[in-house]
Amino acid sequence: MLRSTFLGFQTASRALTASQICIDVTGNNIANADTEGYTRQRVDLVSISSGGYSQKYMVTGASVGYGVAADGISQLRDPFLDLRFRTENAESGKLETIVSGLSDLENIFDETTSEGLQTQLTNLLTQLQTFSNTPTSSDIASIVRTAAQQVAQIMNTYSQQIDQVRDQEIYGLKTSTVENDFNSLVKNIASLNEQIREDQTHGNPSNELMDRRNTLIDELSKLANIQVSSTPVKISESITIDRVSISLYDASTGTSIGLVDDALYNTLSVDTTGDAVSIDLNSSFGAHETKDITDHITGGAIKGYLDIINGGGAFADETAGENTFKGVPYYKATLDTFAAKFAQVFNDMNALEDTSTTPSTITPKPLFEASDGGTEITAGNIQLTDAWLDDATYLTTTKDPDASSGGSDNILKMIQAMNSGHTFLVDPADSSSILFEGSFEQFVSGTISDLALDVSLHQSYTETSGTVLSNLFNERESLSGVSLDEEGVNLLAYEKAYNAAARFMTVIDEAVDTLLSMGLVGR
Amino acid sequence: MRITSRMMTNKYKRSLNELSASVNKLNDKVSSGRSFSKASENTSAAISAFQLRRSLSRLESYQSNISNASDLLQNAETALMEVNGIAQEASTKLIQGISGSMSDSDRSIVAQQLRSLQDQLLQSLNSNSAGNYYFGGTHTDSAPFTVTSGKLQYKGIDLDTLASGSAAEQTLTDDARYVDIGLSLQFDPLQPTKLDGSTAFNVAIPGIRFIGSGTTNVDGYDVSNNLYNLLGQAADGLEDANYSSDYVNTLLGQFQNQSEHILMTVTEIGSKSSYLDFMANRIDSEYLNMQERQAEIEYADPAKTIIDFKSQEMAFEAALSMGAKIIQPSIFNFIS
Repeated sequence: MLRSTFLGFQTASRALTASQICIDVTGNNIANADTEGYTRQRVDLVSISSGGYSQKYMVTGASVGYGVAADGISQLRDPFLDLRFRTENAESGKLETIVSGLSDLENIFDETTSEGLQTQLTNLLTQLQTFSNTPTSSDIASIVRTAAQQVAQIMNTYSQQIDQVRDQEIYGLKTSTVENDFNSLVKNIASLNEQIREDQTHGNPSNELMDRRNTLIDELSKLANIQVSSTPVKISESITIDRVSISLYDASTGTSIGLVDDALYNTLSVDTTGDAVSIDLNSSFGAHETKDITDHITGGAIKGYLDIINGGGAFADETAGENTFKGVPYYKATLDTFAAKFAQVFNDMNALEDTSTTPSTITPKPLFEASDGGTEITAGNIQLTDAWLDDATYLTTTKDPDASSGGSDNILKMIQAMNSGHTFLVDPADSSSILFEGSFEQFVSGTISDLALDVSLHQSYTETSGTVLSNLFNERESLSGVSLDEEGVNLLAYEKAYNAAARFMTVIDEAVDTLLSMGLVGR
Repeated sequence: MRITSRMMTNKYKRSLNELSASVNKLNDKVSSGRSFSKASENTSAAISAFQLRRSLSRLESYQSNISNASDLLQNAETALMEVNGIAQEASTKLIQGISGSMSDSDRSIVAQQLRSLQDQLLQSLNSNSAGNYYFGGTHTDSAPFTVTSGKLQYKGIDLDTLASGSAAEQTLTDDARYVDIGLSLQFDPLQPTKLDGSTAFNVAIPGIRFIGSGTTNVDGYDVSNNLYNLLGQAADGLEDANYSSDYVNTLLGQFQNQSEHILMTVTEIGSKSSYLDFMANRIDSEYLNMQERQAEIEYADPAKTIIDFKSQEMAFEAALSMGAKIIQPSIFNFIS
């Protein structure tokens, strides 16, 4: 086979270019070694074969390749690792939000280092004991009244603080998570989709834009249970680009709600008008039957917020689809149940009973009432009755017909009521819906332990999730991250390759020179 | 597996964070002295701690009730000894008055003395401390014993009309004032306003128990059973123009009989007081035990915590110095 004289120069120059591109890409990798979300790039080198010739003629003898070409620059990324990372991220986002909300609640109830409801109840009991020694003493009677007032007031305070926690969580959900984070993320991803599509249509691999999009999708995955799918779309003969769409995927019902499809996006909004907070879809593409998509959000920080804000625990009606997580409404309802029972027990004990008639006539002498004048006493509205506030001796000290005014049997009855167990019902009309059985102080203590166990459980879930997430992050890094040592070695190799190619160029040059200076013709 | 520099820094940052978090926690433990400061840190210990606090508070109440009851019984005993003293004196005077060598005027002097002893008796019966009367049972805020037309009344009831052993008398004698000293208060299921006496401590000493009630027919004479009226009857008898020493003798006999009730009641009070002492001791030692348990659960052993803290601090410093060595060098340090 004949050899073209200047063929070598082309091969050498291609080699130089390729080495230079490799060095440039290595430089890019090194520069971006610490960039968040950066995926290491690699030059795709292909060797050029002697093509075309063999289609017309048979080739004999040695057939040499024509050098190297840089075909493109690609990223090293594993989509399956991304999927696993995002799933775990959603879980981690949900748990972190739950721990934060429950910890706020725990600060209200916990009495390890502060004096709360339990302490006030115990104080009331202590004052009743003192009162039992001198039942006719009006100054000790007013001390008992003050102790009872403190119990009522601390219940009011707890109730207010619980409302505040709920308000804070709603703010966190509505303003910062949904409106600021979620909606702007879907918008940015949609606009990046458009940019990438434009870029890739014009032949640019747009690696940096894709990295940016992946970072945004990672952030989005922390907020809700999303699913990313990319379908290849053929633009022309040689160009195929991926069309990325993100949807909310509810595994339990198999429902998929589109959030981003190429350049189109749907936003969410929070509806706080009802008793329960719900999430609405503002759909601009892809029809979905109902606007309210609260039930389809099963993971991420948004789910965490919904659980804390709407969770009714044992008070939720599961058949009506209410949230059964033990969130703020559960603890509020628990406290209300306590207040109602406490008031009822004491009011009943204070009432006067005339056993001379059958059935005996009961004259009510209530100690506690609802501040709004209604019949339902809650932790937020419990207060002492005006009759008691005006007269400390309103407390019935004796109901024994044989005893004189110094009798203390009713006070001892109250002491016994503080020590003995009561049944607290979830639904006052349903006597089988038992929330708790025990004394007043045990109820409060039980509520604190419920909450504390929830907090510590979710904290350990969070730690586990954090470890898993960290491992997945490391695996991703291991594949896609920049290792300075590796890049350094590559740099040495490419530099050597460049030197070798340059040397090759020199050799070819000298060879042609030698050829040209062979005879004396034309000199 | 490829190791990148970001992986190493990430892992290192995580470990540093964990170490400094535990150093911080131990620091809290040392400075506050508590082994946990939130229930979520150690829930079972927190619940036990709450239980112990409740129990300690209850024991304090019982101690206070016992001490009040003790004081009350002591004062009542003193007053009762006073009553006894008066009764003894009255007895002596009456014996003097009966002796045959007494003239009419001598007898009327004795009668006067008996009447003044009656007044003293009334005062002692109405002993009180800051308006709290000892011998009235549940009738504590005004004097339980009053005198109307020379006859003693208990809570407004003429004692002579109260037959001894009658239901009405029984109710007054059973009048009890209970305080809770930790014996698990229970009420009688059939009579919801009556406490089961074995589950509480009765501090009431109704005066009617030792003063006597009703009347008895002794040797054909209708004599009162209560000491006050007896003295009145004796004084009347001594001043009577038709003095009958038989009659006054009978009165004396009856008086001495009834006086025995006073000492019996004193003995009763004595045994009640020693019962209270016994209960007080028991509760005191229970209290100490609980305090120890509370210290074990709620408070961190300072020596152990400081050692933990120091070793954790050392681990942290070691990690810090190691990290500086891992992170820095790369191949670029060695390429010329």
